[in-house]
Amino acid sequence: MTLAAGIDVGTSAVKCAVVAAGPGGAKILGTSEGRIRRRDTRAVVALVWEEALRAAEVSADRIAYVATTGEGEIVEFRRGHFYSMTAHARGALHLAGGARAALDMGALHARAIRIDGRGRVLDYRMTSQCASGSGQFLENIARYLGVTLDEVGRLSTTAAKPERVSGVCAVLAETDVINMASRGIATADILKGIHLSMAGRFARLLGAAGISGEVLATGGLAADVGLVAALREEIASQKLSITIAAHPQSAHAGAIGAAIWGAWRHERLKESA
Amino acid sequence: MKCAVGIDLGSTTTKAVALDPLGRILGRGITNSRNNYDAACAIAQNEALIDARFTLVRRALATPAGAGAESFVDHLTRCFRLEQHLDQLAQLREATLGAAERLQGSGGAPGLRGTVEGIFDSMKEGAGQAFARGAKKRSDFFRDLAGGTYLSLAEKAAPAHGIPFETLAGLFDKSILAVENRTPEENFRRHIDRALDRALRESPPADRREESRLRSVVAATAGEDLEVELTVGTGYGRARLPFPKEQIRFEILCHGLGAHTLFPGTATVLDIGGQDTKAIQIDDAGIVTSFQMNDRCAAGCGRYLGYIADELNLGLHELGPLAQTATRSVKISSTCTVFAGAEIRDRLTMGQKREDILLGLHRAIILRAMALLARSGGIRSEFTFTGGVAKNPAAVDALAGLVRENYGEVPMNVSADSIFTGALGAALFARRAADATASSAPGAAS
Repeated sequence: MTLAAGIDVGTSAVKCAVVAAGPGGAKILGTSEGRIRRRDTRAVVALVWEEALRAAEVSADRIAYVATTGEGEIVEFRRGHFYSMTAHARGALHLAGGARAALDMGALHARAIRIDGRGRVLDYRMTSQCASGSGQFLENIARYLGVTLDEVGRLSTTAAKPERVSGVCAVLAETDVINMASRGIATADILKGIHLSMAGRFARLLGAAGISGEVLATGGLAADVGLVAALREEIASQKLSITIAAHPQSAHAGAIGAAIWGAWRHERLKESA
Repeated sequence: MKCAVGIDLGSTTTKAVALDPLGRILGRGITNSRNNYDAACAIAQNEALIDARFTLVRRALATPAGAGAESFVDHLTRCFRLEQHLDQLAQLREATLGAAERLQGSGGAPGLRGTVEGIFDSMKEGAGQAFARGAKKRSDFFRDLAGGTYLSLAEKAAPAHGIPFETLAGLFDKSILAVENRTPEENFRRHIDRALDRALRESPPADRREESRLRSVVAATAGEDLEVELTVGTGYGRARLPFPKEQIRFEILCHGLGAHTLFPGTATVLDIGGQDTKAIQIDDAGIVTSFQMNDRCAAGCGRYLGYIADELNLGLHELGPLAQTATRSVKISSTCTVFAGAEIRDRLTMGQKREDILLGLHRAIILRAMALLARSGGIRSEFTFTGGVAKNPAAVDALAGLVRENYGEVPMNVSADSIFTGALGAALFARRAADATASSAPGAAS
């Protein structure tokens, strides 16, 4: 068994996973995450790293390989780096063996990634260079409404009359939301409306990538139960033959995938040494 | 005294201007916009009336505004702002402790209350610094001032007390909304006595007679009845302004009239506000003849800079001066504001300089404005730059350079009051309407 860690440095959060991997498969020993929110990313990496080791109950010197993904260049103690699509694909396969696609929903981008049974990337589609309806957008809106991110999902699922937000500029949409609040629209309905417009975009992305069957939602937004519920609604209304799988550790898929690939690479290096 | 008030409800800030019966500017008020429009308008108007009272004190003491050394009135104003800030801080403390109690009650984070108390103790202790003579404030708004301090203290307190930083940050986000949406009583009287005592203590007057003169002028001003005759509203979300329809004016007209009033020779106006940029052509009476506005994308307007300031943990006031210290201009490849924010973070991590990046951003915004100006009919003499971004010296530099390159030597006006241009236009419309009503009323005499 090889102990390896994956650190996924995203735009708004850092995720970390410690795994034990061997020929029989991989086991997740511990995960952690920390939101950056104006803090120095390096400091957040240090905190998240310590926390993951604590959760896994191992000391740093026992980790054979530290792999990064995302903006991993800033992690000085890494041994290797994996592209985020590669990492998310592998993580998705580990968390949902039947998945043939991952929908990575991050702070800036969403990617629909079609994979094979070994976790290799076959094809992908990505959102444009505009943050309308991105995770960062959702985070900003939640802050405006005085809702913490971990409350967003639950609150959205209680919406009675979702208020749609059209695809407007992520920064200026804040004012649309202020407008809605001033018109007396309930916070839950605003959040659900945003979830639905984001989900519509993601569903179109899945369709464009020619994806069908089981898809695992990954990335930071995968932890948002309201968004995942909205995604299922949108998939039904767009009549796509897709089932969205969710896993408690979906948000860590990138870090988990990086750790598994890291362990694999470590084994290969040992063999060739 | 009767005043006419204009309110410009913008996407990021809400401005109010109060005019005296002669149409002179009596007071200006500004607050950050929020999800409660009535509160934003009430607070801006309230701030303008507070400012109006200081103008009355200035007039009574015959102190010219902005004369080199800090006058007694300036000092008194600073002390007043500090009292106001401490009062809001006490309210925020109350609200945040309440939120902490509820969270603790539901089984979350023990020791939360104590941690929050500690943070607010430090905030109160340090509050005086932001209002000291010559202090550079990061922002004029309580939300930003308190938010910046709270978050940096929370970041230190979180690991020390074993409480997640997110929990502390979330408490602030919840509580600030409740505090900033309270509509104020006009609280001049509430704070002026303490402010006056503080100011007299810190810069004692020459003798007893001088002291009693100052006290009686201030007391008379505090007792002055400021009656708002008429309010006219303009700005973003006009459809939702909390005013009857006949008291609402299209913002382009307000900006045109406001710019004409500040600079009567104006022919072309560029207004860069929070979420829209307008290029306006006016005639010699301040009437709009044509205009162009940007698309709904933050990349071409003030919110772009505001967003980046937040990302860099800077106050909006700090951006321009910092950009002016740049030695080179770094081009950011992302157009989208949010992407630019992330790109900037990466570049900073790679060791590029904040000021060089900022210089590039200022140039990018102004380039977009130049395209808008060209579409509206170009720049004619005189050219007036208004809106919140006109307060930013780096944006003014960038604009002046590009105007010279493209249009040659055109006189360019920038007023210290540029952010209040729309509100001033609205106030002038209010003044005219109030005068018209008064002169047509039987037995009219004010």
